[in-house]
Amino acid sequence: MARANSLPLRRPPSMELPRSAARRWRLILVLTALLVAHVIGWRVTNINVPQLVFGLPNMRHIVTSLLQPDAFERSKDVIAVESLVGVLAPGTVAPAGSARRVQEPGSPQLTIVPASAAPGEIVNLQGAGWPAGKQAEAFLSQSTGGIPRSAGTFQVTSDGSVNYAFYVPEWAPNTYGIAVSVTTPQLGFRPTQTLLLCLRLMVETLFLALMGTSLALIFTLPLSFLGARNLMGRSKVGRTVYYLTRTLFNLLRSIEVVIVVTIMAVVVGIGSFAGVLAIVVHSIGALGKLYSEAIEEIDPGPIEAIAATGARPLQVIRYAVIPQVIPQFLSFTLYRLDINVRMSTIVGLVGGGGIGFILTQYINLLQWNQAGTAIWLIALVVTSIDYLSAWMREKIV
Amino acid sequence: MLEVRGLTKVFPNGTEAVKDLSVTIPDGQFVVVIGLSGSGKSTFLRCINRLVEPTSGQVLLDGEDVTAASGDRLRQIRTQIGMIFQQFNLIKRESVLTNVLTGALGTSTYGSSLLSRWPKDEVERAMFNLDRVGIGEKAQQRADTLSGGQQQRVAIARTLMQRPRLLLADEPVASLDPATSHSVMRYVEQINKEDGITVICNLHFLSLARRYATRVLALRAGELVADLAPEAIDPQKFREIYGEDAVEVEVR
Repeated sequence: MARANSLPLRRPPSMELPRSAARRWRLILVLTALLVAHVIGWRVTNINVPQLVFGLPNMRHIVTSLLQPDAFERSKDVIAVESLVGVLAPGTVAPAGSARRVQEPGSPQLTIVPASAAPGEIVNLQGAGWPAGKQAEAFLSQSTGGIPRSAGTFQVTSDGSVNYAFYVPEWAPNTYGIAVSVTTPQLGFRPTQTLLLCLRLMVETLFLALMGTSLALIFTLPLSFLGARNLMGRSKVGRTVYYLTRTLFNLLRSIEVVIVVTIMAVVVGIGSFAGVLAIVVHSIGALGKLYSEAIEEIDPGPIEAIAATGARPLQVIRYAVIPQVIPQFLSFTLYRLDINVRMSTIVGLVGGGGIGFILTQYINLLQWNQAGTAIWLIALVVTSIDYLSAWMREKIV
Repeated sequence: MLEVRGLTKVFPNGTEAVKDLSVTIPDGQFVVVIGLSGSGKSTFLRCINRLVEPTSGQVLLDGEDVTAASGDRLRQIRTQIGMIFQQFNLIKRESVLTNVLTGALGTSTYGSSLLSRWPKDEVERAMFNLDRVGIGEKAQQRADTLSGGQQQRVAIARTLMQRPRLLLADEPVASLDPATSHSVMRYVEQINKEDGITVICNLHFLSLARRYATRVLALRAGELVADLAPEAIDPQKFREIYGEDAVEVEVR
């Protein structure tokens, strides 16, 4: 059946000049306002191009270090023997005698003569049984630990004995460790301590993201149904619950994760748990909104059909809503996991554990090669997860 | 017997979809409701099982006031009223069998139905109903792998699970080609005749109304403008219902 009585003819658009002039003035006003805002913004944010240009060379050291991450080193065979040396207060006369630790028979021997000395005096490292003709290096370390300092290199004699003299540094009176090591490079490479540590913390970070996402799911799944207008919009109570849920989602989503970690660190202490909690809080907000919107976009037909059979509300959700949202939910969850891996690294920067935590330490100690290791690892893992999640989401939808 | 008294529906935007509609439909009739798009056919149908909440008026099914019922009572009444739709409204990602079984949700145990554990006799009944509409062999397929006509037959099997006294059919063949339309309409006719289920069916095509209806109601702008036997629709009546400029298109 055709319905022939036609639509009323639309009038042609009027070409009134005054209106178009008003429009032009409004445009000029808006553009002027924008220009003024940018001029003020330039000054407020202290934008200084020459500073950037002249400061760029300062970056060179950092960038070159970052490009040489501390990840792999030549495999090597290390023979090291440690002894102790006492640093005396300046002016004290050293008691006679030498120092040696109980050293295993058959291994190289190391004796310190004299066993203690004041700063500026000479101490001899003597010993036998070392690999003949090799390069040896002496190290000093504080008894409290920390990184040993090189105290110079020397040659092992052809009969395998060492005799090396060095000046005691201006250190506080105490007992210090002194070690001699001979390093023989081998074929092949092995991961450095830094890389191993970063890998371990990267795994921790991945678990942090996983736990954060999964725990958030437990809360989000039921809440998202309360935040869907098409399921809640009928009654006054329903609408109130809907608005409350959506407000909760928006609130949780709008609080920056970095801030939540700081708060959580106060509650449960610095570490991965604080990071997990922060990610849970943020993910509930972000996933809740996505889930609720997915529910709102479903075809209302099956809901009508199932409701018309006399089914109860939960049955309607089970049969008419859930089958329709499962692919969307899976996709959003994978996407969130991907974001949370990235977020977990950030969370670590402010005390949430994981690789971000060690990265801040490296940066604070200006250990740029080590920082480079962490940064490259983060980039590698985040990119891989990104591709993986995109690929899996494509499979689902 | 279905009695509708002074049924009126005004939507929040002010549209008066159904205006003071009164009609009595005895058991076993095959009622076809005709009228232009937007004439209130769908709203009228949805007010009967209260998928749309009437603004005023009464719907009585065998003397019971549907419009006054709420909660569990309303759901019990709904189990007696089957409904099929233009877009079939199946759960696309579930099997045909599960779709049919959802027709029994209103009378099933709450807990086990949520876990989709169906009693054996219900599964057998679902298979029987699928066989009745001629697609028993498709039971395990996903619903969205079926053609439109087959999907509508699944929807019919779903309503049969309710053992309804009344079947509401909202443009059941509007998305189907003419041949499939007749096949689907014949199944509706069959359950009307064999099971004595009253049918209220919205249709676009008069030829289908003439072929299947025992009684025709015509709506125009929400008002009941004609209540007559199908053979009584002559060109004069046709213009009254559809307007002066309308031309009839036939489906054979």
